Order: sequence, then C-alpha cells, then structure tokens
Amino acid sequence: MSKFKTKITPYLFIAPHVILFIAFFLIPTVFGIYASFTRWNIFSDPEWIGLDNYRLILLNYESTFHRQFWNGLRNTIVFVIITVPFQIIIPLLIASLLYLKPRARNFFQAVFYLPTLLSITSVTLTWIFIFNRSLGLWNRLLGVDVNWYGQQPFAWMTIVITTLWWVIGTNMIIYVAALNGVDRSVLEAGSVDGAGGLRRFWHIMLPSIKMPVMYTVVTSIIMQFNIFGQPLMLTEGGPSESTFVLLMYIRNLAFGTGNPIAGPASAMATALGLVIGVVSVGQLIVVRKAGEGD
Amino acid sequence: MEMKKYKAKKRKSEKAASWIAFAVLLVLGIIFLIPFLWIMITSFKVDIEIHQAGGFLLFPQTWTLDNLAHIIDPNNMQLPVFRWFLNSMLISGIHTILAVVIFSMSAYAYAKMNFKGKHVIFLSMLFLSSFPAIVNIIPLYRIMLTLGWLNGPLALIFPGLSGVFNIFLIRQFMYGIPNELMESARIDGASELKTFARIVLPLCKPILTVVGLFSFTGNWNDFLWPSIAINNLDRLTLTAGLQLARGVYTTSPARMSAVAVIAIIPMVIIFLFAQRYFVKGVSLSSGVKG
Repeated sequence: MSKFKTKITPYLFIAPHVILFIAFFLIPTVFGIYASFTRWNIFSDPEWIGLDNYRLILLNYESTFHRQFWNGLRNTIVFVIITVPFQIIIPLLIASLLYLKPRARNFFQAVFYLPTLLSITSVTLTWIFIFNRSLGLWNRLLGVDVNWYGQQPFAWMTIVITTLWWVIGTNMIIYVAALNGVDRSVLEAGSVDGAGGLRRFWHIMLPSIKMPVMYTVVTSIIMQFNIFGQPLMLTEGGPSESTFVLLMYIRNLAFGTGNPIAGPASAMATALGLVIGVVSVGQLIVVRKAGEGD
Repeated sequence: MEMKKYKAKKRKSEKAASWIAFAVLLVLGIIFLIPFLWIMITSFKVDIEIHQAGGFLLFPQTWTLDNLAHIIDPNNMQLPVFRWFLNSMLISGIHTILAVVIFSMSAYAYAKMNFKGKHVIFLSMLFLSSFPAIVNIIPLYRIMLTLGWLNGPLALIFPGLSGVFNIFLIRQFMYGIPNELMESARIDGASELKTFARIVLPLCKPILTVVGLFSFTGNWNDFLWPSIAINNLDRLTLTAGLQLARGVYTTSPARMSAVAVIAIIPMVIIFLFAQRYFVKGVSLSSGVKG
C-alpha cells in the first residue's frame, strides 16, 4: 500500500495543472486548427470542408475574407516593423544612461517601468484625449490642427507612441539587469584605450549583452504580432481600415454581430499563428548561431 | 603620481557622464509623466468650462472632485466602474491563489520527486505552450459554452491556469533547495504533502511572490478574452468594461480622464509596494542574471 502511495503521489501533485493544460490549452488549440478546415458557426458541429477556408482567405480575390485577411495581416506586420526597433533602441538608450549611475536612478527606472503594469484599456483611455483634434494636448502644444486619428501616417503614430509608452519598461529592466551582470572592468577597459562613448557602447557594451538583446527582439516581435486593443480603442481600425489589424477581423468574424463565421476566422488565426511561429523559430536559429560564434 | 592623476581624471569624467545621463533622463522622464499628469489635472476640471474655453484648458478654472466621485459612485449604472472593480478583485484574487497553489505543487513534483515520464511530460508541455494562443480562443469559447461557464467568473479564473512558464520559474528556484532538508523530514515520517507545505513552500516565498504578482496583474489586465466571454454589463471586469468608456464620454475629457485615473490607481498602489519583485521577476523570466 505504502509503495503504491509513493508511486502515485507525484502524479497527484501534477494532476490539477495537467488537467487544466489539456482542457484549456491543448484541446482548444488542436480544435482551433481542426476548425480551420471546417464550416462552423460555434454552436453546431463543425463540418469538414478541407482546404476551402484557406483557399478563400489566401487566394479568392472576390471574397471579403480574402481582402480582410491580407489587409489585417499587412497592417499587423506594418505595426510590428515600425514598433519593434523602437521597442529595442529606446530601452537600450535608457538602460545605458541608468548604467552611468545618475542621480534619482531608481526613480527614473520606476517611471519608465510603471506603464507596463497597466491594462491596454487604461493606457488608451489615458492617451485618447491627448491626441484629440480639438480637445487635445498635442495639437495645442505643437500649435497645429492635425486630425490624428483620421489621417495617415498620424493614425499609426498615435498607436505606435501609445504602445511604446506602454511597453518599453520591460526591455529596459532586462537590459539594466544584463548590464549589471557584465564586469565593469571590461566596460572600463575601453575608456582607458580612449574609446569614445558611442564607440564604447557599440563595440564593448552591446556585444556583452548580445544574448539578452536577441531574446528581447524575439519576445517583442511575438508580443506585437498580437496587437489588438490599441487600434480598437484609438482609431477603431480607421481611417478606411488602414489600422484594422488581423485580430480585430478574427474577433469580428467569430464574435461580431450576426452568425459566427468561425471556419475562416480559425483559418486566419491558424495562419497568423503560423507566421508568428515561423518568425520566432527563424529568430531562435539566428540566436543559436550567434551564440555559437562566441 | 601618474596613476593618481589618471584616477582623478577618470572620476571627473565619470561625474560629467552621470550628470549628462541625468539631464537626458530628466527630459525623457518628464515626457513619460506628461500623460499621467495630464489626466490627473483634467480629472479635476469641469467639462462645461473646457468647452467654453474653446475646447482646451491647461489648468482647471474650478477644481472639482465631481468627476472622480461620479466614476466610483456605486449607483453609476451607465459605467458601473465600482462593480467592475469588485468583479476584478474577486476574479483575479481567486485566480492568483489557485495559480500559486497549483503551479507550486506541480513545480515541486517536477523538481524534487522521481516518477516515470517526468521529463517527457514537463518538456512537452513547455514546448506545446509556446504555440501562439490566438488559435485556441474560438474553441475555448465553445468549451466554456458547453461547461455553462460563459458569462461568469469561472470562465475568467480557469483558462489562465493552464500556463506552463510559471511552473518552470518555480521549478528552477526549487532546484536550489538542498535535498537533505526534505530527506530529514521524510525520515521523521512527514508525508510528501507535509514536506512540501511545511518545508519547501516557506523557502520559496520570493519566487511565489513574483509568480503571484504576475498572475494577478496578468489576469487583471487581460482584455481580449473577458470582452469575448462576458456579455452582461455588470459581470465585466474592470479592464474589459473600460472599453465602453470610450463611447460614453466621447465629448467629456474630464470624465474620461477621471475613468483613466481610477483605472490606474490600483496598479500604482501594487507597484509602490512590490516594485522590487516586479523588477526581479522580469529579469528572472528573461533568464538574465542580475
């Protein structure tokens, strides 16, 4: 009896989580991929139709779903490409300034980190009137009359600025920790040789935190591919759907008004998942290679 | 003599660099704080005065607490912020307690017990969990419908407990606890559960605090899923409910700013008390030694 008990105990310890993992992650994920090959309205049983949904969204030029998929994917990728470089560079700059041990170091770190703890709705409600055309701070301060939400490239700027304010704290903390982990004498060796600040940053500081930087590139890209709340709250996808991102289309198809169109929505979700997967695996390979180079 | 001169020179240039850094950070910091300051100031304004001033007022003419009071008024039916706050407290609170209990039990088994399939189970879950979560949201809705959990707190408490990464963090921490501690407890006849609860858990307080804080804020800030799973206005979470403020206060900056201020306060309070755990948690998750 006692031997049986020691054998079964570990499984009892992991059982609650394993059950939750299977019920709320594994089954829905497998089901989600399966649903992309079906006609389905969420409430009935899905009906297998092979690759029709993919043909519809990828190739059928007459279909609205095709237009929505490509527009949503393009807008999502545009957002990722604009945002991620800033999401790396600004925190790197702040972290290296903090490394110089300025006054009020902890206060500054707290200021830059705090927004990351807020929800996307609090963040957008904070910014929403700042960019407002007639009631906002921006136009008054700059003395201009820009229709920020209704005109490109300004609509993207509102989304990107708001996003950066929200997210840069996380990468900053990672870089601060990474720089603290580097031996100060290594960094100071450069100053003996008379290397200037910028050169020192580029040739000594940056290579010594290469791995954390690579890591944040991967996580930042994955994070930004999931963009949803900012355009929903700030621009509602406008002007003329130029900031309408893929997750907004997916949600509208599956959970909007009218009969849920879960088949094509699942196909879009699976395709987006695939894009994210390919990008992150590709990056990991690059990171591995770079790591071997050392 | 040469060395002394060099050191003095170095100290001087270090000092200059730290002052330049301070100046740049001050400018950046002010830019970062402007949105906070702006909504705080605006939340004390009177909307009519803003409109009378042609749509823009830098500082309030009349300072008022009406906006803030209106937003947290429990009788505010249009935007039941007070109710949403209670819902969020309940949901995120229960979620966090369950997360800490369930994740630490699993982590203990993976770190400190021997059983068949230990590594296969854990590593395959860790690998699978990296699959993008967008794919599962529609079926998750269907599962909640079948369980009868839609439109209720259970739909928001449980799905987030399927994550694997927090178990990974706790497991790494538990590897650092010497096995001798547990051996002696077992020899004294303590059951596995007792060893876990009395000896291992207290030692894990730092990592459990980190996991608890991130579970709480993660659940509190979740937006997409609650806005799908909940239909009734008075059952929404604060994060999902605030989406509606956008439509209600389109022309009233003061009210909207009051909403934003109220929404931000809970997180600011948590942050003030637990800043170092958040900082520790971020660098732990990224695998950076700090």
